[in-house]
Amino acid sequence: MACEEELVPASPLNFGQVYTTLERLQRDGLVGHEVVNQAERPDKKVYALSAEGRRQLHEWLATPSPPETDPRHETALKLMLARRLAGADPLKVVAAERRAGFERLREASQARARARKEKTPLATVLFLDLAVLQLEAFLKWLDHCEELLRKES
Amino acid sequence: MPTDPKTAVEVREVTKVFGSGEARVQALAGVSLAVARGEFVAVMGPSGSGKSTLLHLIGALDVPTSGSVRVGDDDLGALNDDRLTLLRRRRIGFVFQAFNLLDVLTAEENVALPLELEGRADARAGAAEALALVGLSQRRAHLPGQLSGGEQQRVAIARALVMNPLLLLADEPTGNLDSSHGDQVMALLRGLADERGQTIVMVTHNAAHAALADRLVRLRDGLVVEQLSLTRAGEPREECGE
Repeated sequence: MACEEELVPASPLNFGQVYTTLERLQRDGLVGHEVVNQAERPDKKVYALSAEGRRQLHEWLATPSPPETDPRHETALKLMLARRLAGADPLKVVAAERRAGFERLREASQARARARKEKTPLATVLFLDLAVLQLEAFLKWLDHCEELLRKES
Repeated sequence: MPTDPKTAVEVREVTKVFGSGEARVQALAGVSLAVARGEFVAVMGPSGSGKSTLLHLIGALDVPTSGSVRVGDDDLGALNDDRLTLLRRRRIGFVFQAFNLLDVLTAEENVALPLELEGRADARAGAAEALALVGLSQRRAHLPGQLSGGEQQRVAIARALVMNPLLLLADEPTGNLDSSHGDQVMALLRGLADERGQTIVMVTHNAAHAALADRLVRLRDGLVVEQLSLTRAGEPREECGE
């Protein structure tokens, strides 16, 4: 698969899923295939975008992605409930989330450091940078929550 | 008091007050912290939390108002100024955000300085070795102005290591660097801890860089509020609570 090495190493492609997706795209007229004879091995199918598939792909590239911020973010919900539930402490929620956040950030930061060292394809580095920056933002947000919660208490 | 040979730094009940009266600022309000030999500790906290003050006290750049600081076998409070100067020169390496290299000296001359202060005849050879350690042998004849920020910081790290110090103290070592050079400097520090067992205490604002240390110490209002042991790949998970 041409793109496989550019995808995040931690999420390998599921080939079964790739083929069912290709079949669905073919049914919808977005890709076509031709059979190529091979001397030593079984014939293979080579898939290619149809004109309509190419048009839809360009359209998708030009369309902004939907925002990923879910207003019902789980940590935000926990903080909201921990403020109201007797015996619960929102600062403990912050502490547990921070611990897990730093552990995930360590993994992401190590993966990025390895990628930089090993001349990994740019697209992979961009994925890893996104993971690091999102975790940094999450940890900053936790610091912010802690500050406001302490002011309130 | 005999110290554990595995302990590089021991800070006990340290307070630090600057100024007096209305201008009185309590930078540290009773901090205790031990750093094992070979350990890489990151110190984080909001501005004014006392993290730089703590680093300065560990590095014998300032003295605590109360409490004690040990580096290796030395109780800093028991040393006179001459002994403190020697300790700073021989046992502690410093790395700062602003690199603090001398512009008119080449990379190798900068790195050789601590050895020359000691009157060592092998100063140039020692400097060349330290530059090789940070991967800058090819840049030894360059002036700081001819080097990238990341390279300048690596020269500063070579200078900090040239005396083979017990302890490397780094104050925002990646604060002046772009992300790619910052990552290079962090990879170097991590490698020094892993491959040479270098003890490192680093103050940083950068969470991704702090996450690469062995342990994270968080300060707030002059107190240690949280410590996280960060798991190393392949090692069993361990926790270190408040």
